[in-house]
Amino acid sequence: MRAVNYLIPIVVIAVVGALSSIFIVDEREKALVLRFGQIKQVRTDAGLGFKLPFLDEVVRFEDRILTLETPLVEVTPADDRRLEVDAFVLYRIADIVQFRQALGADGERQAAIQLNGILDGHIRADLGSQGVTSNTILSPERSTLMDQIRERSDERARALGLAVVDVRLRQTNLPEQNFDATLQRMIAERDREATDERARGLEAAQRVTALADRTYEEILSEARRDARIIEGEADAERNRIFAEAYNQDPEFFEFYRSLTAYEAALQGRNSTMVMSPDSEFFNYLKSDQGARSVEGE
Amino acid sequence: MAGNSGGPWGGGGNSGDDRPGGRGDRDDKGSGPRGPRGEGPQIPEIEELVKKGQEQLRVLMGGRGGTGRNGGSGGGRGGPALTRGTMGLGVLGALILWGMASFYTVRPEQQSIELFLGKFYGIGTEGLNFAPWPVVTAEVFDVTTNRTESIGVSRSSGDNDGLMLTTDENIVDIDFQVVWNIKDAMDFKFSLRDPDASVRAISESAMREVIAQSELAPVLNRDRANIEVRVRELIQATLDNRQTGINIIRVNFNKVDPPSQQVVVTDAQGRTQSVSVIDAFRDVQAAEQERDRVERQADAYANQRTAQARGESAQLLEAAEGYRARVVNDAVGEASRFLAVLTEYDAAPEVTRKRLYLETMEKVLGDVDKIILESGNGVGGQGVVPYLPLNELRKNSGGSN
Repeated sequence: MRAVNYLIPIVVIAVVGALSSIFIVDEREKALVLRFGQIKQVRTDAGLGFKLPFLDEVVRFEDRILTLETPLVEVTPADDRRLEVDAFVLYRIADIVQFRQALGADGERQAAIQLNGILDGHIRADLGSQGVTSNTILSPERSTLMDQIRERSDERARALGLAVVDVRLRQTNLPEQNFDATLQRMIAERDREATDERARGLEAAQRVTALADRTYEEILSEARRDARIIEGEADAERNRIFAEAYNQDPEFFEFYRSLTAYEAALQGRNSTMVMSPDSEFFNYLKSDQGARSVEGE
Repeated sequence: MAGNSGGPWGGGGNSGDDRPGGRGDRDDKGSGPRGPRGEGPQIPEIEELVKKGQEQLRVLMGGRGGTGRNGGSGGGRGGPALTRGTMGLGVLGALILWGMASFYTVRPEQQSIELFLGKFYGIGTEGLNFAPWPVVTAEVFDVTTNRTESIGVSRSSGDNDGLMLTTDENIVDIDFQVVWNIKDAMDFKFSLRDPDASVRAISESAMREVIAQSELAPVLNRDRANIEVRVRELIQATLDNRQTGINIIRVNFNKVDPPSQQVVVTDAQGRTQSVSVIDAFRDVQAAEQERDRVERQADAYANQRTAQARGESAQLLEAAEGYRARVVNDAVGEASRFLAVLTEYDAAPEVTRKRLYLETMEKVLGDVDKIILESGNGVGGQGVVPYLPLNELRKNSGGSN
């Protein structure tokens, strides 16, 4: 009974002591073992570790890539056009000893602040340096610039135990006032295009209309000309036919035609004739011998 | 860690509840407290039978707890059978719970990584997997499921977020989506702490980089598909560089438009108005349509006009042809009539001539109003003054009309 009473705490203490003398470093972590603030072990590989129970403290550090977004900075490239730039940084804790020494217990937050400062400076310096214009930033050379910023900030971040894996420029925007001006310019360009488009439309329409009017006149006058020619030919033909026929006996023609003309001209409804019975028509009106024979008597 | 020693017990029970398979049997819990641990009394039990068992257990613990712990092999008086059974049940329960903590299922869209004491140990694939607790821990997560990051969408209305600068210094408003999944579970788990935000930022950066190298006009229409491909490749290359295990499936444009912000613009006539670039772009489209319309209207007019010309000229020509036919036929007819009469006339000139004259005069004078007057130089015809009431004659003839 008594032995058991002692045994239980001893077992418990033994178990607790054993458990607190081992630690596990995850694949995603690195760890430092501190004893009274002094670095006793540096663990960069995952796996089981051993330490003095209760005295040693395990401090873990992130071994995956961390991200940082820098705030917008306004840079002035060589052509004095201002751009607002921000960047996205991938970094990792490379050297945990240096990291701990440089940044203390609140490492990650401090690292973000420090790194922000470093990048801010390098973005300004590299994008504002000689020969870098805003056109360079807006061109395929952008990636070269990003690499350059990465290299330089990596050099300085080494002192903090950090490795800058990648720097990506994100926004490269125009400041507010330039932004409006750019929009206005874009609108003006579109305006020009729209006006041009409309004017060209009218031009083409006018051209087509005028051509149509011209064609109309051309076709119609040609038709009139041809019609006149045809009519002339018809008249000529008629004259020829008549001349041919009438020339066979002009004297009879005169007589015959006169008779036809009288017939046509002296219509009953609109003519009144005052005539003398002496006319040849009335030759037999007064005598069956005829007027000539009466005179002859 | 002392608390952990209860882990397989309580934790196992809990994880049993969490398991989708639900293999955890509730009956096990009833037998659980009978196990040789101090936890029995802490769990309230109602059933009398169980209470009895607990009392017996308490006696056991108080009296010879040590021997009980040492394997329960020691034979007792009346208790041992019961103790042995209880112990057996307890061991069985512990085994079951340990099994539940160690076995886990992975669904088809998932994979798992297994860590042996924190070190990478293996990848668990579809089906039942085994990670012996507590030395191996497993993390199950979706792998083939598509994940989507939308960029520029939510904030584009107020902020300048979706606005990007092109190489010809125009601004374009782009919303797009990146669809990704995991191609390498190990790389994915161990490379990025914040994969969603990283994919998002890398995608945005890649899109801006590509847009910054393109001109506005092609971005808006014909280059869209091309840009999607280039952005996808660029994101993938950046991610692969860092061995993130992320696979970009596709990049979708939701919106590629000129910006919709209103700006005050002074036009050529000196009027100021508030316009947005997208309005200006739409106006260009409207102008194109207008141009098309005007041209088509002109074409219509031209068609109508030429057709009218053709119709009218055809009419003129046909009329002329008609005239020709009429005139010539008339002439031919008249001439042949004359010739026919002439033939007859030649046969008997005197008679024919007379007959023609008389017939004609008969016809003519038959219809005509006639007044026959003796001529003045006639025999007794003097004294008659020919008075012609011309007005009356006119009236008559007018009346007859």
